Amino acid sequence: MNGGKTTGRKLIVEGLWHNNPVFKQVLGICSTLAVTNLVLNTVVMCVALMFTVSLSACTVSILRSFTPRNIRMMVETLIIGFYVIIVDVLLKAYWPEMSGNLGPYVGLIITNCIVMGRCEAYGNLNPPGRALLDGFFNALGYSFVLLIIATFRELLGMGTILGISMPYFGGPHWDKWIIMVMPPGAFFMLGIVVWVLRSIELRREREKK
Amino acid sequence: MIRKKSWFPVLYMFCVTALFSSIVIGFSRLTGERVEANQMLAFEKAVLSVLPGLYEEKLSRLEMHNRFVESVSEPDASSGEAYTLKEGGTIIAYAVPISGRGFWAPIRGVIGIKANGRTITGIAFYEQNETPGLGAEITRDTFRNQFRGKEISDSGEPINIRGPGATLGKSDVHAVTGATQTSSRVEKIINTALKKWRTEVAKNLRTGE
Repeated sequence: MNGGKTTGRKLIVEGLWHNNPVFKQVLGICSTLAVTNLVLNTVVMCVALMFTVSLSACTVSILRSFTPRNIRMMVETLIIGFYVIIVDVLLKAYWPEMSGNLGPYVGLIITNCIVMGRCEAYGNLNPPGRALLDGFFNALGYSFVLLIIATFRELLGMGTILGISMPYFGGPHWDKWIIMVMPPGAFFMLGIVVWVLRSIELRREREKK
Repeated sequence: MIRKKSWFPVLYMFCVTALFSSIVIGFSRLTGERVEANQMLAFEKAVLSVLPGLYEEKLSRLEMHNRFVESVSEPDASSGEAYTLKEGGTIIAYAVPISGRGFWAPIRGVIGIKANGRTITGIAFYEQNETPGLGAEITRDTFRNQFRGKEISDSGEPINIRGPGATLGKSDVHAVTGATQTSSRVEKIINTALKKWRTEVAKNLRTGE
């Protein structure tokens, strides 16, 4: 069972860093741009994505020995859609304000390439437990990049974090950069974050050699 | 082997779809009532919050609904299709529904007006999908509280939304910084509804005499 442990750790490192969905695979960028203007919205979106990716990959993995190869993508889309609708309905019923805030973006998780990517690349070929872990840590890797972006956008654009006014940035001396909470701000931040994270990775690789 | 048959993928897809769809249908049936109740409650909460002396933060969902049913009278022709708050048969305040196009999606709300038909007692939006952190600030107290005590003007537009920093008259409020589109649309929504309501109430008063 020693082997299982190392694969577990490898999954974590791969999902969070070496194969990070946002800055390495560059997947799911559309939602990265759309929901990161307030930290709270981002957190909810990330939780929804973690739920969808891990369970979809797990379900795909359970069905993998029965699913005919030629229709596997249809089945995957169906499974992803199933989990996304569940999340959407749950939000509508129990957190209507948040459902309103996120608008159509919850439904659009279906089209988030990370979900499909993990089902295809991992869930299809590996046992359910590992698929669940892989999905979860990929979603976590996505989440941490999104949270970095969201924190900077909300802080610079609104002077708050999670709606709480921050010292200096919330005060009169900070002229709020409104553009940060608008769509262009997302492009700037995403570009900068990918640049910084990739530079760190590059330096580490060079040091290894 | 059944899996080698050419019709197996069709049968498989059919079964998987049937399975997942029935779960989703069952699930949305279970929560459907709650989703509808949420929408109704959002409206009732908005009405209560714009009428004087009805809204309390700590009310539970059921108490809120009960209070609405007890105190608010349904709209009729004599109130110009506005919900009313009555005391001993005489109207103390009106709650005029307002709606129109926002920047991204329809905006719906309620505006509260005293029996004199001039003084505003409050404003609330129960449906909007404006940019989080910008246009969506119209639902915040900082924007809404400005309206309380303002007088609807007889000449020109009933209410004016002025740019940030402008000096305000007794029927003026400040716009949301960085949300010019939302602000001007909200101004239009409010004014269209108020003008229409005023002519209807005036018409009914005249025919009533």
